[in-house]
Amino acid sequence: MSLAVRYALLAAAVLIAALLSLVIGPRSDVGLGNILHLLFVDDGSLARSTVVDLRLPRTLVAGLVGANLALAGLALQAVTRNPLASESILGINQGAALGVAIAVTVPSLMIVNLDVMAIIGAIAAGFLTFTIAGGLTGRLDSIRLVLAGVTVGAFSFACVRFTFTLEDNLSRLVLSWVSADISAVRLAQAGPLALWAALGLAASLLLAQGFNILSLGDGASQGLGVDPRRTRFLGALLAAILTGASVAAAGPVMFVGLVVPHLCRLWFGQNHRHLIPAVALGGAGLVLLADAMSKLVRFPYETPLGTICALIGAPYFLIAAIRARRMA
Amino acid sequence: MSLSLIRAAAAAVALSATAILAAPATALEIEHDLGKTEVPDAPKRIVVLEYSFVDSLAAVGVAPVGIADDDKRDSIVPAYSEVIGDTWKSVGTRKSPSLEIIASLQPDLIIADTSRHEAIYGALSEIAPTIVFDSLTGTYEVALKAAETIAHAVGKDAEMAARLDEHRKKMEGFKAGIGDVSDLSIQFLIDNGRGIYLHSPVSYNGSLLAWFGFKSNMPAPDGHTYPEAIVQTSLEQLSEIDPQIILRGKYVDPGLIDSWVGLPLYDNLTAVKSGQVVDVAAHEWSRLRGIIASEVSGANLVDVMRQLRD
Repeated sequence: MSLAVRYALLAAAVLIAALLSLVIGPRSDVGLGNILHLLFVDDGSLARSTVVDLRLPRTLVAGLVGANLALAGLALQAVTRNPLASESILGINQGAALGVAIAVTVPSLMIVNLDVMAIIGAIAAGFLTFTIAGGLTGRLDSIRLVLAGVTVGAFSFACVRFTFTLEDNLSRLVLSWVSADISAVRLAQAGPLALWAALGLAASLLLAQGFNILSLGDGASQGLGVDPRRTRFLGALLAAILTGASVAAAGPVMFVGLVVPHLCRLWFGQNHRHLIPAVALGGAGLVLLADAMSKLVRFPYETPLGTICALIGAPYFLIAAIRARRMA
Repeated sequence: MSLSLIRAAAAAVALSATAILAAPATALEIEHDLGKTEVPDAPKRIVVLEYSFVDSLAAVGVAPVGIADDDKRDSIVPAYSEVIGDTWKSVGTRKSPSLEIIASLQPDLIIADTSRHEAIYGALSEIAPTIVFDSLTGTYEVALKAAETIAHAVGKDAEMAARLDEHRKKMEGFKAGIGDVSDLSIQFLIDNGRGIYLHSPVSYNGSLLAWFGFKSNMPAPDGHTYPEAIVQTSLEQLSEIDPQIILRGKYVDPGLIDSWVGLPLYDNLTAVKSGQVVDVAAHEWSRLRGIIASEVSGANLVDVMRQLRD
């Protein structure tokens, strides 16, 4: 199958998932039959308002968060040359959640806004993980990296969990962040995310050749005149920014950054130049599908997006782990 | 000494020993949500872990020594502090009260919530006899029943019977003041700035509003768990439920709802179009339950309905 056909198929899947995310909801006057009409024709009806004001922002946020997190996961796996690396395994997701939790519980510590707090949390956690694992300059040991990530993640999440014991209302606020509840997002939140996703995609494509060279090993990389440290640093920074922006908009959605690059490698091969657009599309598709499911599980009430993603991601992680053992 | 005399003396000793051992058995056995517990006669040092238990004690003029007041003393509203004074010690949050502080108060009775404190029931029971009632997810009727049992446990049966008589008269008065509302649908909700949470028909507020005769458009869930009693809801779902009157308790200002003003879906809600969105005190309505709390809500509702009808 040619590359173009595979991209087209993946894009079609994303469109179908987006349509599902738009069509499913408690109001019965929005359906598959009239969704396109409602999207593009302002007939002044409440159904139109439902689609444009409530469901569309949510669909956009779900898709963009998916794309961002998948790209972040891919960058981390390239940088660490470790297929297990992802935002949640390296503690970056949890660090971003801690940034948000601090801002919500102690408003006086808030720097600029929640986006910035989440990005600071993500960068700090990523920096800590990489430092424990041997730093960006030295040799990154796979086991040490994963252990460091688990440590940083566990510590960050323990701090987030501490806020659950605080007063009801505060803990409910933090919980709705941590479980990635996007039921009340508005169009204004999709704008910055789209910007980050566009920048992230462009930066990933610029780094693609560097990622490819990194996969050959540090020696080969230096032999080709590419400084592996620079690519590593830029890749890790990109991952932290994309994760932080996503967490600020939706909360820590786990497993997307792990599952999507894995699946895409099976279908698109190892070349990052081919992988990057596929991973962005795949991430969007997966989270859109999870969003549609989050509205169905307890219909007409909702299950937070983060819960659904974890339900999809955890079994996949198990399969990957079993396969990895067989390969060893 | 003859053998019979020794026998008689031994019997006397045994008898008095039994009497001493049996002394606690004269204590009350209270049946509650997590079993039966022996409670000493007229306990003096009581620790309560939910606001509704403060309500029950205040209704019969008993002051607890410790309250899980979420570390905010003003969460104990004047309606309570006028009766119980201001000498209680805070034992932390309702969600995770400090066992250490509770123990340091040397209580002889602890009153806890079924869903919140089931996990620490054992630890609480080691500190003092602990009785447990469903405050968080119980209905108005459940709250009244718990109040009666609590009054029994603290030896205030007569006072509670008189108070409940007075309560019923007051509530009938409020009901008359509210008038016939059987064709009006109403919904109480909480807005915390990030989400809105509807108190469903199986919640305390849902059942209280039903007691006053209001309708609810919200489908009644099957169970009584927390997510079934307090249901997070989107604007889209609210537009489907579309109550005629919305009672709104805001924990932050501006709330999430304020950001919806101008959206056709919000502006076309029946309650919004007819100007029947009424702000009520979030803390009183959503956290306080019981005899005194329901009277406060009742008086509040009379005012609200008078305003809406004018």
